[in-house]
Amino acid sequence: MSMSQEVVRTASKAKPEPVSSSMTRFHEQSHFWGRLTILLVMIASVGLPMYLSFVLGAHPGWGAIFAGLLGYAAFIGVLWIVEPVTYFPILGIGGTYIAFLSGNIANLCVPCSSAAQKAVGAELGTQKAEIAGVLGIALASLTNTIIIILTVLGGTFIVNLIPASIQQSFVFVLPAIFGAVLGQFAFSKPKYGVMAVLIGIGVFFSPIPSLIKIASCVAISIAVIYNVEKAKDKKANG
Amino acid sequence: MPGNVMNIASSNIVWIVAFFVMGVVIFQAIMFMNIAKKAAPDAGLTPTEVSRAIRTGFISSLGPSFGIAIVIVSLIALLGPPITMMRIGIIGSAATETAAAHIGAKAFGVELGGAGFTEKAFATVVWTMCLGGMGWLLVTFLFTKSLGKAEKAIRRKNPKAVASISLAAMLGAFGYLASEQMLKGLGFFFAGIASLGIMIICMSIAEKKNISWLREWSLGISMVCGMIAGTMVIALT
Repeated sequence: MSMSQEVVRTASKAKPEPVSSSMTRFHEQSHFWGRLTILLVMIASVGLPMYLSFVLGAHPGWGAIFAGLLGYAAFIGVLWIVEPVTYFPILGIGGTYIAFLSGNIANLCVPCSSAAQKAVGAELGTQKAEIAGVLGIALASLTNTIIIILTVLGGTFIVNLIPASIQQSFVFVLPAIFGAVLGQFAFSKPKYGVMAVLIGIGVFFSPIPSLIKIASCVAISIAVIYNVEKAKDKKANG
Repeated sequence: MPGNVMNIASSNIVWIVAFFVMGVVIFQAIMFMNIAKKAAPDAGLTPTEVSRAIRTGFISSLGPSFGIAIVIVSLIALLGPPITMMRIGIIGSAATETAAAHIGAKAFGVELGGAGFTEKAFATVVWTMCLGGMGWLLVTFLFTKSLGKAEKAIRRKNPKAVASISLAAMLGAFGYLASEQMLKGLGFFFAGIASLGIMIICMSIAEKKNISWLREWSLGISMVCGMIAGTMVIALT
């Protein structure tokens, strides 16, 4: 008994985290429910305009629809692929399904995921962080959806719960969210935090097309941090 | 929006579809909460930590959600309540949807809500928003499995690499997002700096004195302080 425990312990030291069967099950369930819910919303997304076109007889013609889609694709279509790939390392499997269904990835889902991870003291990249992050994002999606429903049904009622003077300060909601998230990492990894801001400012002023600026920062940061960590490991081991 | 178009935009079926979509989003969130809770013990989360993560997610989401609610009020006049709800409830921000609505109206050859904004023009707008927003859904639907497999392959080779990649991705994305916002003006700059500073203070106090509620509230507190700082700077200058 104690022997086998010892074996498990050394094994888990060599390989920090063997993927447990319940984690594998979590991933399988994530794919199943994630895809099913996204499929349902895709059906509704085609169903609604179909209804307007062919039941109510407001069909504008495929030419106009195609022109609209083409305009949209030219405007922002690159992000269809770039965003899911860019945010996947942060969100993981479950987080990706929730965040890309409910939207507001950078301004809501990731900050809530990260806050939940910090609240339980989980290091990014661990299974603990993955599960805590999913719980944070699920709650974010739930709260946001309910507030949207109430806002649409109640009209200005919900928004007026917030005094007008405070409403104005919501202009600064984005820098406040992003600053706070950066602060979480500046606290635990100050050097990397400074580096991230320098990369961010560099890319901001660079001629990189604006739609792929975030992805570029992510790619550069991965390249730098991966190599720094590798060098650190070498030093520690050799 | 002309009256006859508004009638279509708020017809019963449109409401039903919109509520169906919102229902799916809520169902998904609850489902994921349940399966995450089941996986929690093996992932190293105690029941206390599970409720702590849930509470933190809730507290942290209030500020950003109200920020979103304030922006969508203007969209309701533009698109009608149910379509606004459906479009904002899933991927696509207020800014994206507004731009998409203009693109759709233009594709039909009219101005959004202007003269000649008929039922058909409205249908073009809805087609554009719905198909455009589907891009992300389709990519997520098709490729999340492959991304998961790629991550697993990296983890097998070098477990530590996954941790440094996700840390780097996080820092890269938010280093850029924060810089971009803070370079927008003095108020934005101080909103970001204040929020960042308060977060560091909250976390160091929480760490030193081991106050768990402060960890749960730190994002909310920092955000509010940042917003106040930005507003004060604007009032003073």
